[in-house]
Amino acid sequence: MKNIILIDSSPKINEKSVSGYLIEKAARRIDDQTANKNFINIRQSFTGHKIQEDYKILINADAVIIAFPLYIFCLPGILMRFLQDYYQFYLENKTKSTNPKVYALVNCGFPEPEINLEAVRVIGSFCRHVNANFRFGIMIGCGGMLLGAEGKPVIKKAVEKLDNAFAEIANDIQNNDTEKKYNILVETMNFPEWIFRFLMNKFGWASNAKKNRLKKKDLYRGPYLL
Amino acid sequence: MKATIISDKDFQTDLFRNLFEKIIVYFDSKGIETKTISIGRNDLAFCMGCFGCWVKKPGECVMNDMMSQINRNFINSDVVVYLSPVIFGQFSANIKNAIDRWLPNILPFFIKRPDDSTMHPSRYKQYPYVIVVGYGEDISDEDAQLFIDITKKHRNNTEVLIYKGDDEDISQELDKITLRKAGGYL
Ligand SMILES: Cc1cc2nc3c(=O)[nH]c(=O)nc-3n(C[C@H](O)[C@H](O)[C@H](O)COP(=O)(O)O)c2cc1C
Repeated sequence: MKNIILIDSSPKINEKSVSGYLIEKAARRIDDQTANKNFINIRQSFTGHKIQEDYKILINADAVIIAFPLYIFCLPGILMRFLQDYYQFYLENKTKSTNPKVYALVNCGFPEPEINLEAVRVIGSFCRHVNANFRFGIMIGCGGMLLGAEGKPVIKKAVEKLDNAFAEIANDIQNNDTEKKYNILVETMNFPEWIFRFLMNKFGWASNAKKNRLKKKDLYRGPYLL
Repeated sequence: MKATIISDKDFQTDLFRNLFEKIIVYFDSKGIETKTISIGRNDLAFCMGCFGCWVKKPGECVMNDMMSQINRNFINSDVVVYLSPVIFGQFSANIKNAIDRWLPNILPFFIKRPDDSTMHPSRYKQYPYVIVVGYGEDISDEDAQLFIDITKKHRNNTEVLIYKGDDEDISQELDKITLRKAGGYL
């Protein structure tokens, strides 16, 4: 029985996150007969003061799947805090460490999945520091589409590709393959990017603002200029 | 000219103090007025990804803590220096919190860079020139390169330096930078 930890690192509070969606989908691909699945939601762990418990689970893992959003082209502060403090925990508990396989699921707001590469490399570096075995990352462009268009034909291809990628993770966890694996890129849009930009710029942000009783021109405020 | 130096309160090692001192002395010698902000573990809440800074309270975070002072300072500086320990090739958590919550300073809309990648437009006409210094005693080449890529690949008007204790180097590198406001191209 493999001990698998799935970590949702979205900083969102009480709001459905893409990372949560990805973790759920990835977990479904992992057979309950062969694996014992443990779920961590970093935001909830910080709020509930459960971090030390999480670390004790993590140090015994056979495999770890970390999902998170790209924040300013790298890891969100909340995930950095979690990993940075885990590193201290690891240094004090080195002998117990199990050299787990690690996978990263990174999604971003922009359409280009490749901009998630540096974030995946950070997870690779983290693994080198804590004697873990980084395997590969899944990099997803415009992750918001997965929630916004859930079940719709526009994302059918992307969902299929994701499912295959999750199957690849499930396989990789079980086998003894040591061969280097490549990151998998997933684009969620099957229409030209300019349409996405046009729709968001013309209607998307303004309609959100309207819900907060703001006009489109209010979005341009510059409150900090002295 | 005004500069702001942002540092991590939890990593004030000897190496850091040496670097900090060097930069203060350097700015002093140029007659630059310098403000320093140091961020501790409990000073900044984590960004919660709500986009309230774009659609609820445009230009400001909806959470009230030290970040509004940092952002106000940022916008009104000519130069901003981040001094960050290099951790797993990235910024430390304290510095990253300040970087995540810098988001109010840009607009929500999507535009393209000349290389065809997506970006957000600027909210202000002028931004400070940003210098990021990653420091640490034993930063591997791989982590140093990652830190440089993270900082430089998707940004304009930003310089990145790696400091492992070589003072000669850091002064020379600083001398190469033209200190100025950076305009509105991010
Ligand atoms: C502070 C902040 C910074 C962000 N930086 C980026 C970025 O650099 N590039 C990008 O494409 N998306 C960026 N995003 C968008 C998120 O990656 C995107 O909304 C993602 O789908 C959120 O995933 P989650 O629901 O799992 O939290 C940023 C969002 C926030 C709140």
